[in-house]
Amino acid sequence: MSAFTIEKVKKTFSNGEIEEEILKGVNLSLKEGEITALIGPSGSGKSTILTIAAGLQRASCGEILFEGSDMTKMSQEEVRHVRATDFGFVFQSSHLVPFLTVEEQLQLMLDVAETKTSKKEQAKAIDEMLKLVEMQHRKDAYPSSLSGGERQRVAIARALIHHPKILFADEPTASLDTKRSKGVMELLRELTRTLHLTTLMVTHDEEMLSYVDRVITMRDGYIVE
Amino acid sequence: MKIAWKEMKKSKAKFLILGSIIFLVSFLTFIISGLANGLSQDNAALIKDLPDGQFYLSKDADSTYNLSKIDEEIQKQILMDNPNATAFSVQMGFVNDAEDKQHSVAFVASTESGLFENVKDGEIVLDSSLKENGIEVGDVLTNNQFSGEFIVKGFVDQQKYSHAPVAFIGMTNYQEIYRVMEMQTIFIPGEEAPTLSALDSFSNKEFLNAIPSYSAEQMSLNMIVWFLVIISGMLFAIFFYMMNVQKIGLYGILKAIGMRTISLFKMIWYQMLVITAISLALSITLSKAFSFVAPEGMPFHLTMDTVWMLSAVFMAVGFIGATISGIQVKNIEPLQAIQQGEM
Repeated sequence: MSAFTIEKVKKTFSNGEIEEEILKGVNLSLKEGEITALIGPSGSGKSTILTIAAGLQRASCGEILFEGSDMTKMSQEEVRHVRATDFGFVFQSSHLVPFLTVEEQLQLMLDVAETKTSKKEQAKAIDEMLKLVEMQHRKDAYPSSLSGGERQRVAIARALIHHPKILFADEPTASLDTKRSKGVMELLRELTRTLHLTTLMVTHDEEMLSYVDRVITMRDGYIVE
Repeated sequence: MKIAWKEMKKSKAKFLILGSIIFLVSFLTFIISGLANGLSQDNAALIKDLPDGQFYLSKDADSTYNLSKIDEEIQKQILMDNPNATAFSVQMGFVNDAEDKQHSVAFVASTESGLFENVKDGEIVLDSSLKENGIEVGDVLTNNQFSGEFIVKGFVDQQKYSHAPVAFIGMTNYQEIYRVMEMQTIFIPGEEAPTLSALDSFSNKEFLNAIPSYSAEQMSLNMIVWFLVIISGMLFAIFFYMMNVQKIGLYGILKAIGMRTISLFKMIWYQMLVITAISLALSITLSKAFSFVAPEGMPFHLTMDTVWMLSAVFMAVGFIGATISGIQVKNIEPLQAIQQGEM
């Protein structure tokens, strides 16, 4: 059964009088426990469909069905609530909050998700998650003192600490070398399986495709494979 | 608000620079206001320091204090009916010291009351600024319109009129110097002063405007102060706006992970409030301290009423600037905010 479905989604950007259609009717279904990779040349619309699916921008038309509800018909506040509680997002350049320590990044996410557990339980969950991404030894470090790979690990931990149902990752290995990229992909694959996640990621690195369950190719705003 | 405080702690330099600008701008405004108020006090402290009440001028004076003469019979009747009332006159003049050096003063004579210095004929009580000119208690002063001599009985603080130190003298001496028997004004303290059909009545504020040059001077000073307040206010608003617009990428990340818009607003307001409160507290303290180190003769008078009013204005405009930037953050999509922050 599909955990997440995108139907006939289009996205048009207007630049003055010129309108450019980036997505020309995309259909896509994601399955629980699977990593789906979106690949394609630059400008094919893969990052656009990912950010629309994650509720970071609106589609021009079409439907995005999550747990039976069409997200395109939700209010801004409803979409925010879904993002805070059910989605996790890993950005290309980690985008950690620069003035929070590793531990505080995760605590912030728990606060944002309005997790109903006690502070003690939250501290335990943070410890466990940091252990899972092998970052417990850097829990008091600020992002500026972390390497690129460490930052991405923390970003993954932040995206998962509140137990989301769907994880979106936009080129999570783009700023990393091959060794670190493989480490991040192994981590994503393991977490997707152990936490029963549904993961949608964008990548242009074909070496990373061996870690995913399904590959979807996009070109000129369409899914071609 | 932990996140707002953590950002301030981690980015001390950025917030220190912003706080310094707010401190300097508010400090400048407080100093200029203090100087403007000081000039105002220098012009009319004698009247401004009186309690609220009603001033009465003769009808034929046409609201001009200098031209007013209260009929002696009317004066006698009013003073009898109102035990707290006092009749007084103020005229510019001068006194000569033992070395025949001339000192410009504002002579004040009044009927007996607790509102002005009660001085016997032949005696004079001076504003303490004349001490700097070498005048001491017991000195003998003269005036070329006065047949006798004045013995200095004492000094009073902050009693100025028309930028000149006040000299309290007896009524008979005043009548001899200015060749008039009538007093210029009657003042009845209290909010429920009677309406007297034979005289025009004025509130304290209206009476101040009846003093020649006072309202013109005040309008110019107020114009300077309010112009400064408006410019400072705009600077405040612009600085808070710019600070938050620069952080739009951060707000984009926080929006992307699902932070509530109201939490972002609270973060913006909290930082504005902390920076403004600390900067204002510092500039208020230093402005008040300035009154103790200001050079002698420099009129500086910063009242707490002025301080609170200006502080409220600064808080309000800071809040408006922060809120406008918050509205911009609210309306932008998270992805757009992140992309703008990366530019």
